[in-house]
Amino acid sequence: MLRYLALRLGRAALTIVLVVTFAFVVLRLSGDPAVIIMSPEAPQAAIEAFRHAWGLDQPIWVQYIDYFSAIAHGELGQSFRDGRPAIDLVAERIPATLWLTIPALCLKLLIGIPAGIHAALHRNSLTDRVVMAGAVAGFTVPSFVLGLMLVLLFSVELGWLPSGGQGSWQAGILPVITLGFGGAGILARFTRSAMLEVLGQPYIRTASAKGVPWARVVRGHALPNAAIPTVTIVGFMVGSLIAGAVVVESVFSWPGVGRLLVVAVSNRDLAVVQCILLLVATTMVVSNLIVDLLYGVLDPRLRGGRS
Amino acid sequence: MTSLTRRHALALAAASSTLPHFAIAQSDTRPTITVAVQKVANTNTLNQLREQSNVGERTSGIVTERLIDLDWLNGAKPRPGLASEWRRIDDSTVELSLRPGVICHNGQEFTAEDVAFSFSAEAMFGETTPDAMGRIMPDTGRRIIGVGSKALPPEIPPVARRMFPSLARVDVIDKYTVRFINATPDVTLEGRIAATGAEVFSRKGYQDAASWLDFARKPVGTGPYKVREFNPDNSLILDAHDAYWGGRPPIKTLRFVEVPEVSSRINGLLSGEYQFACDIPPDQIASVESHAGFEIVGGSIYNIRITDFDQTNPILANPKVRMAFAHAIDRKAIIDSLWAGRTTVPKGLQFEYYGDMLINDWTAPEYDPAKSKALLKEAGYKGDVIPYRLLNNYYTNQVATSQVLVEMWNQVGLNVEIGMVENWTQIRDRSHVRGVRDWSAGSAFSDPVGCIVSQFGPNGSAQSALEYKNDELNKLCVDIQTSTDRPARKKMFRRILEIAEREDPAYTVLHQNGAFTAKRRDIAWKAYPSFVMDFRASNWG
Repeated sequence: MLRYLALRLGRAALTIVLVVTFAFVVLRLSGDPAVIIMSPEAPQAAIEAFRHAWGLDQPIWVQYIDYFSAIAHGELGQSFRDGRPAIDLVAERIPATLWLTIPALCLKLLIGIPAGIHAALHRNSLTDRVVMAGAVAGFTVPSFVLGLMLVLLFSVELGWLPSGGQGSWQAGILPVITLGFGGAGILARFTRSAMLEVLGQPYIRTASAKGVPWARVVRGHALPNAAIPTVTIVGFMVGSLIAGAVVVESVFSWPGVGRLLVVAVSNRDLAVVQCILLLVATTMVVSNLIVDLLYGVLDPRLRGGRS
Repeated sequence: MTSLTRRHALALAAASSTLPHFAIAQSDTRPTITVAVQKVANTNTLNQLREQSNVGERTSGIVTERLIDLDWLNGAKPRPGLASEWRRIDDSTVELSLRPGVICHNGQEFTAEDVAFSFSAEAMFGETTPDAMGRIMPDTGRRIIGVGSKALPPEIPPVARRMFPSLARVDVIDKYTVRFINATPDVTLEGRIAATGAEVFSRKGYQDAASWLDFARKPVGTGPYKVREFNPDNSLILDAHDAYWGGRPPIKTLRFVEVPEVSSRINGLLSGEYQFACDIPPDQIASVESHAGFEIVGGSIYNIRITDFDQTNPILANPKVRMAFAHAIDRKAIIDSLWAGRTTVPKGLQFEYYGDMLINDWTAPEYDPAKSKALLKEAGYKGDVIPYRLLNNYYTNQVATSQVLVEMWNQVGLNVEIGMVENWTQIRDRSHVRGVRDWSAGSAFSDPVGCIVSQFGPNGSAQSALEYKNDELNKLCVDIQTSTDRPARKKMFRRILEIAEREDPAYTVLHQNGAFTAKRRDIAWKAYPSFVMDFRASNWG
């Protein structure tokens, strides 16, 4: 088990290093933060002064080494735009994002899983078709389209809810629904498929033939075995809690990590982008690690296979 | 008999304690106004020298003000601001009399000491020196802004020196009188004092701030509104400065909120959350005005969209090819189709508010496809590709305009190919052949030096990017900055226009830029021909 954990952690660290390196190279080669932040109309002397102050006049490999040695010392750098530590800027935005993504995750779980199970247990019925139509709509309608439709209906036409911002708790309702609806559709589809596959297995037929009540067959045999693909998807959803609302935050003018990422990328504010990427990669890796461990809990046969 | 219990007594006490507050709230019936904007500030500061952007200009004059104001609704003529009057002492000195009794946001009186400090090395010029007109002196310090640091960001002094290249010092004559003393003669000094970037502020407010950044986010000025809270990339919340010298501000709380999506800004306006929505593209005008209670205000502003030519491109090296570009553009068709006819074709790269420096008989190149074809024939153009690097709607209507332009150019035989890029570094990248690109130009102050000279002269962005150079134009740009002979300066300006727009074109003008703001129809507020928004009592109700 320890060897397994060490291997997983090693891979996780490598993934993070690769993500950060890729982002560093792409961002630094595709735009000069000095020109972008200061506007192209700034005098050349001002742009050069900015580059010099931030070490952007150094060769890119020197900047790369400087960056990684700073990380090794626990420093994630400072924002080019205001000189504050990047981690402070990101940390300020995390609560706003979690304020959307955690309720949205709950919504996904509360709607998606029961809907998928119900559809599978009533395969080819009208309910199944309605649930699946809703699920397909959920993950095919882009979130910015759904968000704008909700705003038109509930804000502009009915005047019930705010159209954006973070002024009140009601302002979070539409973005949470927008985020939750798509994810619920995905979960419903996966849960239904997994349930249908399990319900067709010989051990389900055997349990039914032995006279075990159907509800107990579903609870005791079908659900645990169908949980593995669903847990995988939920793992990805948990991993994207930090930066999984980029589009929705823009549509609803929600000041979270997603909007910070968009602004930081467009300004080539390298330290901030890297800090967010590090957080996202770490969350995703940890979440996947937990999912891997859960596999073993859900299905004891998988424990031996991994060690 | 009714007995008074302890609970009743507490309730009465609580109720009575609310009475005075209620009375105060009743006395201040001014509204809270929310303005939805695409961006509050690019640099997340309210310092105009650092901001250098159209969006930043919007809040100029709201928190901090300039000594000389501009009367935007009257040809942007200079008018008294914090200075009640000003006079020339000699070719290089301007004396200004300050309004007495102006109160800063920190409650202190605004005096000549504050003016001198605002234009000091400590707050503006750093280590730069005023020893060369038209030449920007670099700042040598390697420092970054940050928490706790009072040092100027390194880019501020060069920007300040571009605005005031020869300002030697500001002398305090008495409590309400200052003198701006230039190292060289300069007839544009009053214009520079009236320009965005020349805002003044409280010396004590600056010194009390924990860092340069803190002050840049919460400047202590004299404007009609003071900063309560600035949340970077999110919102700017301002409170009325009731001691404002220009009269009690009409709005109790003024909020600027960032709403990046156009549709979200419009939806928020229609649903009543915002009272103003800025940066509305022209194609949304009809949609907004289809709702009875809303209207679009604004129109052409003192900013001109242009197409820049890269002289170093082997094809564009021939001025005849560049003029063929200029004559192939049907500017009126672009305005009618993409701007709903709400803007105009400028008289070249100059502005009405240049006053006696305006070359009235100058025009944009006429639309003449036959002339373009003839010029291309004379130039021996063989149809080789000319690249056109394009940003995705950095300017309003940019992509649509570029597509129309390419078709117009194709009509006369120019083979122009659009290449989408993401930022200005990629636009300027010299590792691949450059051709034409988009640009917009405003005038920092009411003189050609504020636009064509600073944009295309020796220190301009075109020459810095190694796109353009003309020795005669460069000499004229230096002369026009130092000459005090007004008729001679006007002749120089005409010659600069002849070179930059006809003989050896650096660019060709397209149209006046436009800025549109959607608002509730029942709010009596006027938009200026500028990005500036004025929420003083004189422009409200």
